[in-house]
Amino acid sequence: MDYKSISALLEKYWDGESTLAEEAALKAFFSEPHPDMPEDLLEAAPLFQYLEEESAIRVPAEPEWDMSFLEETTVKTPPVVKMYPVKNWMKYAAIVLMAAGVGYGLKQHHASRQIAMEQLKEEEEARKAFIETKRALALLSRNLNKGTEKMQALSYFNTATEKLSVKD
Amino acid sequence: MSLELFLSQVVPVRSKLYRFAYRLLGDEEDAKDITQDALMKVWAMQGKMTELQNLEAWCMRITRNLALDKIKSRKYRIADTLDKASELPASHQKNPHAATERNEVMNKVHTAINALPEKYKSVMQLRDMDGLSYQEIADILDIDMNEVKVNLHRARKAVREKLQNQQVYGL
Repeated sequence: MDYKSISALLEKYWDGESTLAEEAALKAFFSEPHPDMPEDLLEAAPLFQYLEEESAIRVPAEPEWDMSFLEETTVKTPPVVKMYPVKNWMKYAAIVLMAAGVGYGLKQHHASRQIAMEQLKEEEEARKAFIETKRALALLSRNLNKGTEKMQALSYFNTATEKLSVKD
Repeated sequence: MSLELFLSQVVPVRSKLYRFAYRLLGDEEDAKDITQDALMKVWAMQGKMTELQNLEAWCMRITRNLALDKIKSRKYRIADTLDKASELPASHQKNPHAATERNEVMNKVHTAINALPEKYKSVMQLRDMDGLSYQEIADILDIDMNEVKVNLHRARKAVREKLQNQQVYGL
């Protein structure tokens, strides 16, 4: 017996890399007595003898199975419901009405949105015009104030001149 | 459609499911009950049957889960090898001393395998006792094939170490 090849197979077995055929060869090897077996094979012998016994364990005869559940729970095919398209004209009319309603609603929504946008634009333009006018008036007011100050100074001068001419 | 599928693909594997359940539970009656429950459960989920690629693996998975639930709920104990050995016919025990020695060794191996975590034990049972391929085991346990190999390697390593520590050698 080539113990080397058996040892190599055994190593593959321990590593979990052996094939079913190799495992069968190992089981066949260990099922027979080998008086001069090396130690690495000797340690595996009880396991293989146990596996052989377990594999050969006699399962009791197959009992009678109760398959009545197949009849009880067999899915009954639901009855075929025939469709009559003409009979359901009210359904179709309702669908068309609903679609028209939804379409009209969407159109209205779109139109009102456009009006609101235009209003916003107008308001924005008015606001800009107001700011511009305000700025122009502020400029005018500033210049007017400057003129008033000058006129006041001139008025003091006139008053003083009048008083002096009266004394003379 | 589902009934045809059930009759053509599930009914033929029911004996396999029964053997699988018996191996897990070690009791004829319980194996029968679990297999019956599994068949009914598979039928109850018939809507899923057409979507599955491996119907047999799915049935095995259901059987396994039901058996594990049974083990958990009743703190089930599988009769140990010594008990099984005592049930063997007398013709197998020509030499009482050798038979006792053999039973003792088998019992130690049985204990070492039974002490493994559930996922390791299942992989080892499906591979080494039921002779299933890595892919079949992966389908039944709903895990990756590489995970099957890793778990198998760890399970065998753990058993090997336990047997080495106990100095259990060949007969």
